[in-house]
Formats: sequence, C-alpha cells, structure tokens
Amino acid sequence: MDTVLTTMFYFWVSLFIVFFLTQRGLWIFSDVAKGTVSFMLEKALGPGSDLVEGRPGSGARSWILQGTLWLILGSMFTFTSMWLTHDPNALHSLASWGFVANANELASAGVYATLYGSVSMLVIGSGFHIIPKLAGTELASETNANLVSFVWTISVLVLVVGSQNNMILGIEIIPLGTAINAIALLAVILNQLLTVANKTRKMALPGWLILIALLSNPLLSIISIISGAADDSVGQWLSYHLFGGAFFFAGVAGVALYASSIASGNPLWSKTLVGVTLFGSILTINPFGDVHGQMVMDAFGPLAGNNVVAFSNQDMLAASFLMALVSIPVFAFASNMLVTMRGSDAFVDSPDYPGNAELNLGSWLIVPIAIGSLFVQTDTVSGTSELVGIANSLSVMAGWLVLVPLSLGAALSLYPELTGRHLFSNNRARWGYLMMTGGAIFGLSLTMIADFMDMALVEMMVEDPSTLSEELRKLGSVMFYGVVIGAILHSLNMITGIFRGEIISSDSVKSSSISIESYSLVSSTTVRKILASGANLDTEVIPVGEEDEKGSATKL
Amino acid sequence: MSISTTDSVDVFLQGEKEPSGSWVFIVVGVVFSLSFLVLYSILYPGQDLPVISDLVPVFSGVFDSGIWFFILGTMIGIFAILGRLLLEATSE
Repeated sequence: MDTVLTTMFYFWVSLFIVFFLTQRGLWIFSDVAKGTVSFMLEKALGPGSDLVEGRPGSGARSWILQGTLWLILGSMFTFTSMWLTHDPNALHSLASWGFVANANELASAGVYATLYGSVSMLVIGSGFHIIPKLAGTELASETNANLVSFVWTISVLVLVVGSQNNMILGIEIIPLGTAINAIALLAVILNQLLTVANKTRKMALPGWLILIALLSNPLLSIISIISGAADDSVGQWLSYHLFGGAFFFAGVAGVALYASSIASGNPLWSKTLVGVTLFGSILTINPFGDVHGQMVMDAFGPLAGNNVVAFSNQDMLAASFLMALVSIPVFAFASNMLVTMRGSDAFVDSPDYPGNAELNLGSWLIVPIAIGSLFVQTDTVSGTSELVGIANSLSVMAGWLVLVPLSLGAALSLYPELTGRHLFSNNRARWGYLMMTGGAIFGLSLTMIADFMDMALVEMMVEDPSTLSEELRKLGSVMFYGVVIGAILHSLNMITGIFRGEIISSDSVKSSSISIESYSLVSSTTVRKILASGANLDTEVIPVGEEDEKGSATKL
Repeated sequence: MSISTTDSVDVFLQGEKEPSGSWVFIVVGVVFSLSFLVLYSILYPGQDLPVISDLVPVFSGVFDSGIWFFILGTMIGIFAILGRLLLEATSE
C-alpha cells in the first residue's frame, strides 16, 4: 500500500476513536480519569502552580499576550532572512560574536517563531476562552493554562535556537524543543478535555474544530513514526501538510469562526459549512507551506529517516486528489466568515470591534493563496517542479496573510472580554493593521515578482543574475518591515490596554451568538438587533433596567 | 400619481472636516516615490544607500549595512514595550 493513503487511513481511524471516546467518555474509568487529570493539572505541579495566577481568563490572556510578542520576533526573523537573500554579508559583523547569519536558517527561525510562537499561541489562548464558553462551563485549570504558556514559549525559544545551530554539546536541539512543545501541548489537551468533560450543554462546532486541531497534533506525530511516514521524503511531505491542515487550519478556522460572530454581533451563518470545514480539514491535504518535509525531519530527529524518494504513481494520484479537495473546506470557511460578518461596517473605528479588519483580510485572501499553493504543490508532487521558485514566497504569504491575520483578529476580538478593557488606542490598532497588511502584501508580492524573474532567467539559462530582480528583493524586504512595525504597534497597544484601556461597560460586553439562552435588555432596542445577537424564539429576554424610584437611607 | 425623488443634488459637495486618515495616502505616495527613485538609481546614483557607519564613522566595519537601521528600529520598539511594562508595573 502507498504511503499517502496508509498514513491518512491511520490518521482518520485514530481521530475517529479519540472523537468517539471524547463524546462517550471512558465508561467506568471516567471519574477516575477526571480525578487523575485534575490532580496532574494542579496539585502535581507542586510549588510551580504558585508562580502564576489562576483567575478566570488569566490563562487565555497569558497565551494571547505571549503570542502577540512572538509576532515581533517572527516578523523580524522573516524580514532579516529576506534581506540576507539579496545581501548575504549584511550581518557579517555578528560573526565576531560567533553568530554567522544565514538567510535559510533565519527563514526557518521565522517559521518557528511565527507558526509555533505566534499562531499556535494565539489559537490555543483563544481556545482557552472559547471552549469553556461554548461548553457552558469554566476552564478546568486556569493555573495550569497560565503556567504552561511559559513552557510553550521556552519550547519555541529552543526551536529558534535549534534552527540556527541544531547540535549543541552533542544534543540535537530541534527534537529537544519539539519534545518540550509536545509536553506543553499534552497539558493543554488534558486541560481542554477535562473542560469538555464538564460541559453543561452541547458544544457548537467551532469548539470541536479547536479540539480536533489540538488532538490531531500528537496523533499525527505518533502515526507518522508508527506508519513509517517519517522515514522518507514523501511521508515527511505528507506529515508536514497534515499538520498544516489538521492543526493550523482547523485551529485557526475554529477561533476565527467564533470570533466572526463575536466581532460582528451576527449569528454564525451556516452550521453545515462549519461541519464541512471540520471534516475537510481532516480528510483533505492542505497545500499551504513548503514543498518539502524538512521541518518534520528536523522535529523528529533520530526518529526520522533521510531517504529521498520520488512520489509513486499511486501516491501522486492520491495526494493530488486529496489536495484538490481542499477547495471545499477553504471555500466553506471563507464564505461562512464573510457572510457572518456581512453588514458589519464597524471596521476598526469602534472600540467594540477590534480584529474585524484582520478577520476580513484573512477570509478574503485564503482563497487565492490556497489556489496558488495548490498549483505549486501539485507541480512538486507530479515531479515537474516548474513553480518551485515561488514556493517560499507563497508559503510566507500563507503565514502572514492568512494564518496570522485570522488568529490575531480572533485574539483582538476576544481581548475586551478577556481583559475587561478596550485596546489602548483604536488609531494604533488601525495603523498596526495597515502596516502589517501593506508590508506583507507589497513586500511579498515584490519578492514573488523577483522569484518569477529568476525562474525565467534560469529557464533561459542566463548565467548572470538580474540586477532588477535584486533591486526588487531589496524593495520587497524593506516593504516587509512594515509587518515588524505593525507587530510592535499591536503588542504595545495590547499591553498598554491592559493597564490603561477604557474599561468596558457591562452592556457592551457581547455574548457569542452561537448559543444564547437569555438576553439581558439594558436599554430600548430593536427586535432585529436582538435576533442578530443570536437570540431565537425560545430566548428569554430579561429586562435589567434601573429604577427611577427615589432612594432612601439603608436600614441597618 | 408620481413620486419625485432626488438622485443627485447637482452641486459640488466638499466636507468641512479633514478625515484623519487622508494623510496616510500621502505618506504611502511619498514612500513609493522614494522607493522608485532609489530603484532607478536617481537618488544615490552608482552607490548604495548611506548606512550607519557612513554617518557615524566610529561604527565602520560594524553597522555597515542598511539592515542595521531596521534592526535598531525593532530594538527601539521592543524596548518601548519592555519600558511600558516596567512603567505600568511600578506606577502604583
């Protein structure tokens, strides 16, 4: 049997078993498991749990703030790698400190910082708020969530160091970082599973998207090793793209769909489309990212092989077919997001709607970038490799124009509810958005144009590199610096907002429109607005107005 | 019975207040113009953009690439965040 179908079959079956167990519990062992996990999450940490606070929302807040700070490093590494592509000796003076800067290694550091530092932390942090909300309960352990965020950050730091020098004192650094990351993720998963086990109502589908994303990561790691997929280049390519689809796409889609309703005040448009997004993210192969599985090989270290093999005809057919099917979940997700946000003209002017612009951007751009990535990956799978020259630019585009805007937009939407305050400055949020978007679109587009020029020159067998291509790369990297500035502005805005942001009034706090049982009527409003907030005919409207009666002294 | 509706007012209209975001487009235009002037070697013909070591000779051999402007800019941003955190944490 071929690598692609075998690995995917194992993945589907294992995910179905885990989903079944999550729904049904562990029969007579459920209570024991709950008690044990609860003990492991808090008491077993010993004095470690006293290092952080366990107030409601503190876990999500910690993850989101660290995720935003990672945006700065992620963008900075990416910018530096883009610069070094056209000026390899720009940082030669750092060699006196023992650091030889290399464009490819810095690009790798940028990927780790962006995907694992920023996107993952924003998704997991938002998930810590969303899943308990949708399950009608509280997070099992805020203390654990808070503490583990720092472990995750340490793991990403180790990965970034490993991307520069993978062997220190005879220890492979990237597998070490992956192991620390896996331990942190295990704690996150147990925390969320225990939360779901205490649910008081049926959880809406965006919650399942996040949960499946979390569960798929360790499952895929185990399956990649057991099935032998990690041993050769085809299996590594497949594992890389399955991680991209099941962990990153499903996770980002889950938080973004929830946030689209929160940000706009409109009910989520279609449950069926969320279901299609959920199943599509598992059943198809996501084309975003690199054209090789080097990252998987680095992550698994000694457990992975380095056999370079070509795609067999059966693998090629299965991979191309499953990748083509990705259009279904991508279109389902984008349309659901955009229609849910329809009619919302809030943009970022209103302090009640931070993150709307980012969510809109990600929802629009996911379609063209997915189609572009599909062409590039199919080209690689078929062995033609004519488009491999633009693969890197397209991969960075998928990160900075789809995954980052959607996860950051969701985090910004949840910010008021998590912190009890608005962002410090709407103007700064607008600038942050414009700088990040403008920098990423113009910078990466110019770089891609340079890629096309270089590809054309290679095809015509011209030996001298084009000076115009080099100038374009220079301009592209300078433009991309806007992303760094945008990341700094967003981070500064969020951190200052925690201390000095305007305190939100109780009537402006929105509840998710995905499931609403009661509606607090604080002032006169229209039926349309009540229905738009997710109320239905069975929703209980509770007037909570002020009394006009004259007050008197309180009797003691 | 006919209902008369007005589709246009047939007069020139201009807002009294300047929108706060209008100057953004001027800045974008200036940035693009400068970029193209550098790209076509009209500004600094035959040589690269000046770098820190050109402006401050003591740094010659160290900050001798334009990338250091950007790295220093990022460091200022990171220190602004750290400074804000320390300031807010100790302000009470």
